[in-house]
Amino acid sequence: MKNNVKLARVSLSLTQEQLATRVAATRQTIGLIEKGEYNPSLQLCIAIAKELNKTLDELFWEVENK
Amino acid sequence: MKSWLAFFIPSDEYKEKRMLYFLSEGAILLLLSLVVMVICNQFYPMNTGLALLIPIAIFLFYVMGRYILSGIEYTDIATETAYKKEIKRILNKIGGIVVIYALLYLLIVGFPANNTEWIDFIGLLLVVGVLWFFTSFISLKRSYKKNRELL
Repeated sequence: MKNNVKLARVSLSLTQEQLATRVAATRQTIGLIEKGEYNPSLQLCIAIAKELNKTLDELFWEVENK
Repeated sequence: MKSWLAFFIPSDEYKEKRMLYFLSEGAILLLLSLVVMVICNQFYPMNTGLALLIPIAIFLFYVMGRYILSGIEYTDIATETAYKKEIKRILNKIGGIVVIYALLYLLIVGFPANNTEWIDFIGLLLVVGVLWFFTSFISLKRSYKKNRELL
């Protein structure tokens, strides 16, 4: 699943490890989510969105560009 | 989800999901191996001890093998410094446990009486130590490679 987690994380100058600690996940899990290789649970999506000060739509909703 | 299995499963959700897959696959293989052995037993009666040991070995080797090769054990090792540090930590841990085991064995069981007993004692320690290091090393290497790709 494509998402904007990496962009949002980098804009806040957070490392994968820092975000992982804040959402009680591992660095590997954050990396997999950013690469779109793992679809997180709704609970983890919400935790990430809260930490990155974004809505779920902004992070995970796919919008096709016309 | 409430389950007694949660006690043995990692808290990280990706690791948890992978582990549940490995355990489920292992359980299905165990069931299949039992079915095969029930059928085989009709034609070639099997030794009970062996028949019980084979499914357990299949389950344990499968789950352990999948876990080691999946690269999910060392989730935070992504730099060369951390990788080298972890190898040292593994060596220290295995070395420490081997020494403690050897001391406890000598204290509880006593000193081996002859050459054969010495070979058995040292051989067991060497095989366990080397095998443990080898599996940990493969797991670390796979984890490091996977984590590097995710940076």
